[in-house]
Amino acid sequence: MKKINVSICTGTTCYLMGGAHLLTFDEVLDPVTAEHVEISGAHCLGLCGSEAHGKAPFVKVDDHIIADATLMKVLDKVRDLMPEED
Amino acid sequence: MKSLFTEVEFHQIRKASENTLGDAFMVNKDSSEQRLIAVLADGLGSGVKANILANMTARMAMKFAETDTDFTHYAKVIMDALPVCQVRRIAYATFTVVDCRPDGSVQIVEQGNPPFILLRGGQQVKVPACEYDSARNDYRKLRVYRFHIQPEDRIVFFSDGVTESGMGTAGYPLGWRITGCADYVANRVQAEPQISARNLARLVTRTALQKEPDRKAYDDISCGVIYFRTPRRTLLASGPPFADNRDADFAERIRSFDGTRIVSGGTTADIVARELGRDIHTDLFRFKRSSLPPISTMEGIDLITEGILTLTETLRQLEGSSARASENAATLLRDRLLDSDVIHLLIGTRINHAHQDPNLPVELEIRRSLMRRIATALEDRYFKEVNLEFI
Repeated sequence: MKKINVSICTGTTCYLMGGAHLLTFDEVLDPVTAEHVEISGAHCLGLCGSEAHGKAPFVKVDDHIIADATLMKVLDKVRDLMPEED
Repeated sequence: MKSLFTEVEFHQIRKASENTLGDAFMVNKDSSEQRLIAVLADGLGSGVKANILANMTARMAMKFAETDTDFTHYAKVIMDALPVCQVRRIAYATFTVVDCRPDGSVQIVEQGNPPFILLRGGQQVKVPACEYDSARNDYRKLRVYRFHIQPEDRIVFFSDGVTESGMGTAGYPLGWRITGCADYVANRVQAEPQISARNLARLVTRTALQKEPDRKAYDDISCGVIYFRTPRRTLLASGPPFADNRDADFAERIRSFDGTRIVSGGTTADIVARELGRDIHTDLFRFKRSSLPPISTMEGIDLITEGILTLTETLRQLEGSSARASENAATLLRDRLLDSDVIHLLIGTRINHAHQDPNLPVELEIRRSLMRRIATALEDRYFKEVNLEFI
């Protein structure tokens, strides 16, 4: 099974704008969702420099960029991408 | 001597029942003249009285030693100026003065403190001493040693709190004693030949404390270590170069550096990874409870941290204004810097526009001024040799 990759930016801007809180993402996952998710840190996604991407903090869920990320927004995106239960 | 770096550090534990130290340690390092004077004075008794006596003695010794005349004469003056306690018939303060000259000669003058230990190649070397009696005809004696240092020599000196630790216990009826302490430092250095002066001084005081009943210091425990070593070099690179076309040059400077390599900053690390074609891995969970962003790893780089926040905290720790934190990115960076002798700061001056956003919850310092303050702290407080380079 291919896991959904959640990449949390830990660069200065993202960290200050709420990224520090996002690092607790593994604690809000229910066991079923957790099975499908792989959490990693990104040193700096390089997205805060241009306004086109929106506001920090940024999280990448597979190829989808989430701007102004919150734990709920990331969780919703992960659930969207999860395969339907048989 | 010129090519050697003299690392001088000390560690002290105060008597358990007191609020202040009764031993005083002073260092004066003149980097232009390559001269180093270290003084350890132990005041009679403990607490405030001892602290005043010790500081007075240390300051006197330091001022006399700084002049270019022979210190032996002045040591006698100090010894005779300090009275003997009426009740106990012992001196008001004892002292050790270590004077390292630019030509590699060392003079050590001791009065009342335990004899110092010279470690050469992991073995204790005995140095002959000249003894002078006090002009007052009491029990006091002045010991004067002269010798030349060699690379990797260590001078270890301490107050009697170290040699008398554990006194009266079953394991150490007469205390740890000078021989016990000498064996310990020799063994430590053989086990870890590169051990820093800072760690060795701390280990000696901690080990002395462990010998005390209930691990409560019965006297002030102080240990100073001077380590003459070939310089350890560290490069701290932070910030992207001002001009994009210097990225490759910047990364190559880091790759080819001979010594410890540290990168602070997300974008900076990305530039290095891109230019050198290496992967970065961020360790999200190691310091999860820390208030700083995590560290990352890359082949060939010894430490990668986030930039401004980590550097700000590192500066606060170097300046002593931050409470002792549990291990995090800033303490790792601080320890790396303190274990080095020559530190090269390579500072990229491109401004990250996102950091200037007034919506950020804290005000971020400009990297350039932050790095200057780190350089000043390393030079003035820790006697490091620091170079700044802007790119």
